[in-house]
Amino acid sequence: MQKIYVHPLPVRIWHWTNAFGFVALIVTGLQIRYVDLISLMSFKAAVNLHNWVGFVLIGNFFVWLLFYLFSDKIKVYHPELSPMKHFRGSLRQLQYYGYGIFKGDPNPHHVSAYHKFNPLQSVTYQIVMLLLVPLQFFTGILLWDLKHFSGAVEFFGGVRVVDTVHVLLFIFFVAYIFGHAYLGSLGHTPTAHFKAMFTGYEEVETEVERGEPAQTLT
Amino acid sequence: MRALRKILVVDDDPVVGKSFDRVLSEKGYAVITARNGEEALKKLAEENYDAVFTDIKMPGMDGIQVAERVKARRPWIPVVIVTGYGTADNEARAEAAGVSGFLHKPLSPEMIEGSTQKALLEKDLAGAPATATETAAMPQPTAATEESAWKSVALVFAAPFVGLAYVVALPFIGLGMLAWMGAKALVPEKVARFLKNIALFFAAPFVALAYTIAFPFIGLGMLAWMGAKALVKRADSE
Repeated sequence: MQKIYVHPLPVRIWHWTNAFGFVALIVTGLQIRYVDLISLMSFKAAVNLHNWVGFVLIGNFFVWLLFYLFSDKIKVYHPELSPMKHFRGSLRQLQYYGYGIFKGDPNPHHVSAYHKFNPLQSVTYQIVMLLLVPLQFFTGILLWDLKHFSGAVEFFGGVRVVDTVHVLLFIFFVAYIFGHAYLGSLGHTPTAHFKAMFTGYEEVETEVERGEPAQTLT
Repeated sequence: MRALRKILVVDDDPVVGKSFDRVLSEKGYAVITARNGEEALKKLAEENYDAVFTDIKMPGMDGIQVAERVKARRPWIPVVIVTGYGTADNEARAEAAGVSGFLHKPLSPEMIEGSTQKALLEKDLAGAPATATETAAMPQPTAATEESAWKSVALVFAAPFVGLAYVVALPFIGLGMLAWMGAKALVPEKVARFLKNIALFFAAPFVALAYTIAFPFIGLGMLAWMGAKALVKRADSE
């Protein structure tokens, strides 16, 4: 096994803060939404905690954003501009997740510091991190102080529209967290990717171990 | 008939040759390796090659000497220097020898493929004598010819729409190019790279969204294409 440093410290701090923060937001969000069904805490405590964690995560988002904007690792989030290459890679990855993985085929994506996402992860993270998460924050801020942001809320179609978008994104993120944890367990051992998110180092099979000629080239 | 293009990779480290082979052989290139300059020149004397990639530091003759010899005998063959650490002196020597470019280690598959395509394009544009060798083992492309006939019919019908798209896009591309050239002239390279990185970063979710929307159609299209091909093949065999 070869170790490659793919998760720099700011990314790891952001990731785990985000993970625990999102769980807290989901729990408090459920408490706020289903106040009659769940009684983990008082409604007021749930709202306060939800707001505070929300602001911590907004700050945390900027840790992630600024790190990538001012580091050469920004390339990790660059789009693949060749549609042919993107779709070919996506279909290969999809075939691996849907079929090849159960036969013990090797993962068609090989991780490197500047190419850590496979094509499917790449588009998912680009959409999640740069569209959906900011949209969730934005709708959250509008709902946090409806009076203050009444003009903007009105502009977007009223509280019901803003709230619906916030809740739909919440449903998406709940599903996403389960999918993310499942896919995170598909390393060479079930805990390999989780460990890597603590240490920063992904363990990658060498070409010899994969029974192929060199992939991580020279 | 398709022709295999032959690439000679000169490096005393066999891993480099294997890397090239792994990346390029699946793209339809033939990769031949040589462990030193002498062996490379011998191979070049025996056969024609479309491009040469050579390491600088090797026992005996160094890569720049290899490049000089190749260029002296066959100036149309593009030579690319592969190096882990390029010194200004080496780069100046290599440029004086007429090399096509430098490839800095560590190499990625994209770098290998990109530089090969670039080198071959340069050779094609220079109008070099044809050196590509046709593979005897390659099957006669009857099916390929039929496929290309279908393709050309499809292209004929698609042509006006593609042309229209080009016409609509032309002024934007022209303006974009003007803006790009102006920015390149005015903005220092480092700042330009930084801005390009950021522009790509923020463009990423929209490209990703477009890909995601297109993905099911591409998948269905591919299924339809494979089905049609299978039907045509079956009809032919009957």
